[in-house]
Amino acid sequence: MELLRERLIDCGWKDEMKALCRAHVKKKGRNNVTVDDLVHLITPKGRASVPDSVKAELLQRIRTFLMSAAL
Amino acid sequence: MSSKINGHVSPQPCPHLLVFRSRNGPKPFRALQDCIRVKPPGGRAAIRREPSEVPRCGTCEESSRSRLYACVACAAVFCHAPLLHSHASDHALSIPGHEIAVDVDRAELFCCACGDQVYDRDFDAAVVLAQTVNATATTSTSGSTAMQCSVAGSQPENLRKRRRVDYRPWEPDSGEHISRGNQSIPLLDATNASLVSSTQQPWGLRGLNNLGNSCFMNSILQALLHTPPLRNYFLGDRHNRYYCQQKNGAINGTKNSRLCLACDMDALFSAVFSGDRTPYSPAKFLYSWWQHAANLASYEQQDAHEFFISMLEGIHEKVEKDKRKSQSPGSGDCCIAHRVFSGILRSDVMCMVCGFTSTTYDPCVDISLDLEPNQGGSGKSSSAKSLNSFNVEADCMRPNQNCGISTLKGCLERFTRAEKLGSDQKLFCQKCQVRQESLKQMSIRKLPLVSCFHVKRFEHSSIRKMSRKVDRYLQFPFSLDMAPYLSSSILRSRFGNRIFPFDGDEQDASNDLSTEFELFAVVTHSGRLDAGHYVTYLRLSNQWYKCDDAWITQVNESIVRAAQGYMMFYVQKVLYYKESENQGTS
Repeated sequence: MELLRERLIDCGWKDEMKALCRAHVKKKGRNNVTVDDLVHLITPKGRASVPDSVKAELLQRIRTFLMSAAL
Repeated sequence: MSSKINGHVSPQPCPHLLVFRSRNGPKPFRALQDCIRVKPPGGRAAIRREPSEVPRCGTCEESSRSRLYACVACAAVFCHAPLLHSHASDHALSIPGHEIAVDVDRAELFCCACGDQVYDRDFDAAVVLAQTVNATATTSTSGSTAMQCSVAGSQPENLRKRRRVDYRPWEPDSGEHISRGNQSIPLLDATNASLVSSTQQPWGLRGLNNLGNSCFMNSILQALLHTPPLRNYFLGDRHNRYYCQQKNGAINGTKNSRLCLACDMDALFSAVFSGDRTPYSPAKFLYSWWQHAANLASYEQQDAHEFFISMLEGIHEKVEKDKRKSQSPGSGDCCIAHRVFSGILRSDVMCMVCGFTSTTYDPCVDISLDLEPNQGGSGKSSSAKSLNSFNVEADCMRPNQNCGISTLKGCLERFTRAEKLGSDQKLFCQKCQVRQESLKQMSIRKLPLVSCFHVKRFEHSSIRKMSRKVDRYLQFPFSLDMAPYLSSSILRSRFGNRIFPFDGDEQDASNDLSTEFELFAVVTHSGRLDAGHYVTYLRLSNQWYKCDDAWITQVNESIVRAAQGYMMFYVQKVLYYKESENQGTS
């Protein structure tokens, strides 16, 4: 979990999401936005923009773990 | 909707939170306090009843898809996915008084009725306390100042509270009235045309002759001559060279036996602000400085930054050892050089294994910044220092990064970024008692009156026995806000923007000085490392002047923006006077 977070920060994904949120809040006004709004807005974009390299790395790790756990 | 505490905005609680607080007594979150679990490397706080608990929604047994919230009133855990279903909201709406919940993975309060995050001072204080419990700082001395740091708020010893005095405009007393009336001539009287040069050039602009590769000295002197607090100090006769020499002559017997760089500065100020526009030769100053820095005494080109540092040291050393004044540079009470330039840097080193953080404070007279390692994958990328290798990848992969333009702000951001020290640089952790991998983060504890930024353009590699100059352009702003680089801001973001009283918040009045700075001098270097030339650009009454040894010319600000900055001098905005257009006042 920590590794995923680290990778997402490294590749700038977190900053991109932050920027999206900021833009949205600026548009709507600071007091008119809730956490739910932001999550709803970000989730599809976020899921789509995770870099393939990150996905690949995490999948690899999961596979390795499963194989080692299955033995 | 929000209130300011110590200049930091904190949101007002929602009505449900208010009701909850009023109902549940003085410590409504004390039950949660024991459940706060902190993961050492990131300091991330979570809520778990047992350390290995896997929370599940009470209604649907979900544990992974959506966010999970634990009701603060009854500790029941529910999921919350606004679109599909929100068992947390169901719970909140069904039982009044159970609207407030806490995100179990992030330790953040949420009001299910309002559907939004809420903030509570006591809760955040408890979270921060938990995050710092295994990170209690100790003192470790490096430099003459060592201070305790704790969230509870012990004051660093060397920063005394500055008493605030009400502002009253100056009125001359009777003695001053008389001398003012009789002998003084208004400087900027329109009738006294002889005193004001016909070109209306600002005061204090005078070329400095090059005495043999002394442009490194001339450039720094020009910048110092127009550093507002320094200029005011010397022009205000705060260091009278005649008095100083007389005093020292009385002690040592001979007139010239005791050299004083401050006296030479005083002489320089007098000469430069005399109104005489012919270029001045700072020979006496160079000679004095050679005596002070004997190893650099030659006609070879020196590094301007080295000269700057050695000059400040020189002024500090020769200061009279006054018992009342503290000798530590951090408080800035020792001498004018430190009063103007000395700030305090804070360095936090966190052990990646146990989370123990040790904090040190060091005074500094300037900040040296690394330029970004070269993007674009030319052969130079391999020469990026190992410390920055962690960030090289990051810089290249940023999709929106404006590749190729480095900015001063970018350098400052990198300077205050948390940096993983490589496995070859393990630092000793006091808690683990072994060398461990660490995370280091710098921040600015106290801003100086004048911030000097030095760009590390000269790389000396002892391995390859060669030095080279980095010509990469650096963009710098004319106005700079240092707020994001302060320790208070850095700490806040480290703890996830919690509301808590940072021990620096209630500090002395120097924190009330704004964090806004204005650029007033830029020292540039052109040419190669072994054959180069220093030039200073000065900003006076919003005009830019190029000071190239003996030649001073007015230039457009676009020239300055395009120049290759080597050292940039910023002064606190409150000290930077913007002169009015008409100068005919008496």
